[in-house]
Amino acid sequence: MPAYELALLLRAMPKQELKSTLKRVSHAIFNRGGIIRNIENLGFRAMPYKTSAHGLVHREANYFVFKIDTATQAVADLKEEYSRDVDIIRQRVFKVQNDCDHSCTLEEEMLPPAYREEVQKMIEVGKTQVNRFTYKFKYNSGLDYYPFQK
Amino acid sequence: MSLLNTFFTKNIYSTTRRILVLTMRPSSTESSENNAPIEMENPYKKERRQCILCQLNITPDYKNYRLLSQFQSPYTGRIYGRHITGLCKNKQALVEAEIKKAQNCAYMPYYYKDKTFLKDPKLFDPQNPIRSHRF
Repeated sequence: MPAYELALLLRAMPKQELKSTLKRVSHAIFNRGGIIRNIENLGFRAMPYKTSAHGLVHREANYFVFKIDTATQAVADLKEEYSRDVDIIRQRVFKVQNDCDHSCTLEEEMLPPAYREEVQKMIEVGKTQVNRFTYKFKYNSGLDYYPFQK
Repeated sequence: MSLLNTFFTKNIYSTTRRILVLTMRPSSTESSENNAPIEMENPYKKERRQCILCQLNITPDYKNYRLLSQFQSPYTGRIYGRHITGLCKNKQALVEAEIKKAQNCAYMPYYYKDKTFLKDPKLFDPQNPIRSHRF
């Protein structure tokens, strides 16, 4: 099961209701055979822009991040269920990025253009291209004279 | 006469110098082996430059919107380009992707920078880009 991150924005509500909403959200995951690894509460704060959801305009929200492991097919199902939930303002699912270590290429990027590999490649490609804008008259075209001004 | 004199003095000077050098030079062959050039790396080689995120080994994350907001213009909320931020290609692409995620999740505004982050330390100067602006 791949790891996903579920970023949820819940509407402003009392603590007891919030608890029941979180329970509902997590039970939906469990019912589809998913696992919750971690729940992060990023707090209750003003949203950077107002959002309307389920016929109400929200300016503040409870921010939560669920780290879950579910089947890929269950994700669309979960999304559909949460979209019907009136307590959820916004929900986004992201696949967890695995850290890939790569070396910094800034040194090569800071070289003058002629020394950069991508520029050299571009020049090579340019050399192989035919220039479509210069017409060259072919002498074997049947005319026995050159039709243009020399 | 004067010309001859100067020539003479010059001659004396050169001969005395040669003698001096000869006396200073070691006569044995062993020490000449010691004087052989030492194999070493170029001491003047410059250190490899790295972008700030690679240097500190930071992977940008959409939940860390405070860090991401440092790559955003305080006036328009637009993401600064690679020629201003001085990041390597990979990290710049990551930062841009994460900022878009964070904006979409309503962690971060689209058209301005969060006012609580306005006094954060500046990682770069947009007025002095690494490569000139295209406008």
